[in-house]
Amino acid sequence: MARSSGSLPRYLATRIALVIPMVWILLTVVFILMRVAPGDPVQASLGGRAPAAVIEKQRHELGFDRPLIVQYGDYLGGVLHGDFGESTSSNRTVTSVITHEGAATLELTFAAMLFALLVGLTLGVIIGRFRDTPLDVAGRLFGILTYAAPVFWVGILFQLLFVAKLHWLPSSGQADVLQDLRLHDNAHTNIYLVDAIINGDWDGFRNVCVHLVLPGLTLGLLVCGVFIRLVRVNVIQTLKHDYIEAARARGISERRVVLRHAFRNALVPVVTVVGLQAALLLSGAVLTETTFNWPGIGQALIRYLNNRDYVMVQGIVTVFALIVVAVSLIIDIVTALIDPRVRYS
Amino acid sequence: MRKAHWRAGLAVTTAAVMLGAAACGGSSSGGGSGGGGGGGSDQTIIWGSTDKPVSYDPAKAYDLPSWNVIYNVYQTLVRVNPDTLKTEPDAAQSCDKSADFKTWTCVLKDGQTFSNGDPVTAQDVKYSFDRLIKINDPSGPAGLLKATGGEGFTVEAKDAKTVVFHLKNANALWDQVIATGAGAIVDSKVFPANKVLADDKIVGSGPYELKSYTPGQTAQFVPNPKYAGDLELANGGLVIRYYQDENALKLDVEAGKVDVVYPALSPTALNELKGKSDVKEVAGPGGAIRYMVFNLKTMPGDNDAQKRAIRRAAAYLVDRNAIAQDVYQGTVDPLYSMVANGLDGHLDVYKDEFGDAPDKAKAEQELKDAGVKTPVNIQIWWTPTHYGALSGDEYTEIKRDLEGSGLFKVDLQSTEWEQYTGNCLADKCQAYQLGWFPDYPDTDDYVANFYGSASFLNNHYDNPKVDQLLKDEQGSTDANQRTKDFEDIQKDSVADAPIIPLWQGKQIAITHGTVNGLADTLKPDYIFRFWVLSKS
Repeated sequence: MARSSGSLPRYLATRIALVIPMVWILLTVVFILMRVAPGDPVQASLGGRAPAAVIEKQRHELGFDRPLIVQYGDYLGGVLHGDFGESTSSNRTVTSVITHEGAATLELTFAAMLFALLVGLTLGVIIGRFRDTPLDVAGRLFGILTYAAPVFWVGILFQLLFVAKLHWLPSSGQADVLQDLRLHDNAHTNIYLVDAIINGDWDGFRNVCVHLVLPGLTLGLLVCGVFIRLVRVNVIQTLKHDYIEAARARGISERRVVLRHAFRNALVPVVTVVGLQAALLLSGAVLTETTFNWPGIGQALIRYLNNRDYVMVQGIVTVFALIVVAVSLIIDIVTALIDPRVRYS
Repeated sequence: MRKAHWRAGLAVTTAAVMLGAAACGGSSSGGGSGGGGGGGSDQTIIWGSTDKPVSYDPAKAYDLPSWNVIYNVYQTLVRVNPDTLKTEPDAAQSCDKSADFKTWTCVLKDGQTFSNGDPVTAQDVKYSFDRLIKINDPSGPAGLLKATGGEGFTVEAKDAKTVVFHLKNANALWDQVIATGAGAIVDSKVFPANKVLADDKIVGSGPYELKSYTPGQTAQFVPNPKYAGDLELANGGLVIRYYQDENALKLDVEAGKVDVVYPALSPTALNELKGKSDVKEVAGPGGAIRYMVFNLKTMPGDNDAQKRAIRRAAAYLVDRNAIAQDVYQGTVDPLYSMVANGLDGHLDVYKDEFGDAPDKAKAEQELKDAGVKTPVNIQIWWTPTHYGALSGDEYTEIKRDLEGSGLFKVDLQSTEWEQYTGNCLADKCQAYQLGWFPDYPDTDDYVANFYGSASFLNNHYDNPKVDQLLKDEQGSTDANQRTKDFEDIQKDSVADAPIIPLWQGKQIAITHGTVNGLADTLKPDYIFRFWVLSKS
C-alpha cells in the first residue's frame, strides 16, 4: 500500500490536537464528580467533630468557600502547572505521591505488561496455529479463567502456594525491609530496579526482582487473557490468507511461516489493545498493590479514600485519567506508524 | 517490523533476568531483619503492624498506633514505670503537687536536648501544651487534657527549668495524664503553633529519632545520639512496616521478614500460626475493652423510662460468651463492667444486674413494664476500619442475640472510621460500637471518660451522683476511698445501662525467632517501649 506523503503528519497533528479537548473533558468530569459527591470533604477529613470555626477555617484555606467557577479555574490552572493539589490528611502534595508511589506502580505495571505480553503472545500464537486441538481448548480456557478471576483472589492463591506452602517467594512489599530503606535513601528515579542498577546495588536489584514476581504475575495474568484470545484470532485469520499458502508452497518451513509471516501481521491489532489495557492495569494495580502491600499509587488511593482526602483522591484520579490519555495517544501514533491503513488519507 | 526484533529481544532478556533472579534466589532468607551479624544492641527490630497511625505530632494523636511512636520519640515530664505503674522522672527531675492538687510544679533535668540539638526548656513544655489546646484537633488529645485539668487550665514557664500547671480541677492523677502522649514535649522552634507538623519532620528528645518515613509504608527509628535520659537501649533501631492486609503480615512473620507483630493478628490468623516453627505468642495483661454505647437522645423510646427499659432489655439479651468464643475464639474475655478486670475497684456489676447469659423473660418484662411496643426497631452502627476484622461478626452476633428474642429488629449499619466518629459522636447514631485502651493505668481513665457529664461519648448520660463521685476520687490520694468511689460509680450507673460492656482483650504480640523484652513492655499501661526489645 503506497504511503501518502502528507497523511502521517496530518494524522499525527489531528490526533495530538484531539488530546486537548479530551483532556479538558476528563478534567471537567473529575472536577464535577468530586464536587457533586455527597458529603462535605472538609468535615469528612476533620472527622466531622471539628468545631464550626475550625471547619470554616479549613474550608477557607482549601478554597472550598469560593464560587465553583473560581475553584474550577484554579483547578485547571493548577493542573496546567503540574500542581494537582495538597493532601488534607498527610501534608504531602499530589505530585510527590505520584512521583514516589507512582514509580512503584510503574515498576509493577511494567512487569505485569511484560509478563502478559510474553505469555499472551506466545500462547496466542501456539493455540492459533493448533486450532481446534486440545491445546487450543486448554489455551482458550486459560485465557478466560485468567481474565475472569478476581485479581485479589489470584494474588491470595499465589501467596498461599508460593509463599506459605513452597516458601519460594516473598509475600509482600517492594523489597525486604532494610533493602527497601536503603533503596529509598539512595533513590534517583524512585523506580527501585533502575535505582539499584544506577547504584550498582545488585543485591537490591535481585531483591526487588524477587518481590516483583508474584504481584507482576498476578496483575499480568489479568491482562494476558485478552492477548491470548486476540492473537489467536488474528493468527487464525492471517493463516487463511493466500500469501501464507504461497509461502508454504515455496517450501518455507511451517515455523517460519507462522512466526515471520502470520505472527507479525497478527501483532498489529495487539498494539492497539496494549494501550487499552493500560486502564485495566491501573485499576487492577489498586487491588494487586493492596494484596501484596506494594507501595504504589493504587494503595495510596485506597488510603486517601479511607481518609476522605478529597483533594488527594481528585489529584490521583486526574493523573490516572491523564495517563490513560497519554498511553492511548502513544498507541495511536505507534499504530499509525506500523499500519498505513490507519492513517488518514 | 524487523526493528522490532531487538526490542523483543530486550524484553525477553529483561524477563529472563527477572525470572532467573527469582529462580536462583527464591525468597531472600532472613534478609529483611537484623542490621548486624550477632545479637545485642546493634540489631534492628522489624515491627509489622496493620495499624494506621493518625499522626506523629502529639497535637493530632490520640490513638494507640500514633502513641506507640510518640512514647519513643518524645519525652514527657514524667513517665510510667512498667512494674509499679506509678510515674517516675523522665525529662523532669521532679513534679510536685500542691495540697489541693490544683498546682503542679515540675523542674526539668539539666542537659536535655532535642535530636536537632535544641535545648529542652520550660518554654518548650509550655509551648507543647498551649499548642495542643490551641490546635484542638478533633483527632487529638485536647479533650483529655481539658477533661482532667479542667477547661481553661494554664501552663506557666516560671524560669528556664520550671513549669507550673494551674489546673481548674483538683486532680491527684495529673502526673499520670502528663505522662501520656498528650504530654509529649515538642521543640518550639520546629513545631508550628497553630497547625500540625508533617510526620516526616518531627523532632523529639526521646531515646529514638525518626530517620525516614514513607506514609502508610515504613517508619525507621534510630537511637537518638542527643538523648540525655537514663533509658538504656537494647537494640540498634526499629523499623515499623505498615501493612494494609493482615494476610501479608501473617505470611511475613512466618517467613521471618518481620520480627514482631503488635497488636496481634485476628484470632483466625493467630490460630493458623500456632505450631509454626520459630513463631511465638507473647501475652500481657490487657486493658483494652469493647462496648456498645446508646445515645440517649436518638435511641428509640418515647420517653426516658422507655429508653431505659430498651437499654436494660438489650443488656439482658447480649450474649458475651458467644462473642468471646464464637467470634473471637476464646482470645478475649467477657466483660461485665466498664472498668477493666484487674483494675482497682472493678466489680462485675453487669453480671450481678443482668446475669451472664441471655434472659429473654426478664428482657420482655422490662419492655412490658415500660409500655414499649415490640419488636423495637433499633439501628446499631459499627466500623470495619478501626476495631479489627471481626467487628462485623461481633455485631452480627449482637443482632442475632437481640432479634433471636423476637423483641428487637436490628438494622446494622457500618461506615469507615473517619465518617463513623463524625456521625456517632454527633448524635447521628442510636447505638454504636466503641473501644477503649487506657490513656493511663488508673481506673479513673475508664470511669471519667465514660460516665462523666463531659464524657467524649456525647451520649447525653447525665448522673449528678456519678459526677460528684468522679470529683471525689480525682481529688483524693486515699487508695481505699478511691476504690470505694469507683465501686459506687459502677453500682450507680449499671441500672441505667447507658453503655453495655462486651469484652476485654489481652495484649498479644507475635514474634519470629527470639525477641526479648516483650514481657517487659506488654503492661497495663499500653506503652510499647522500643528500647527494651532485642533479639538473639
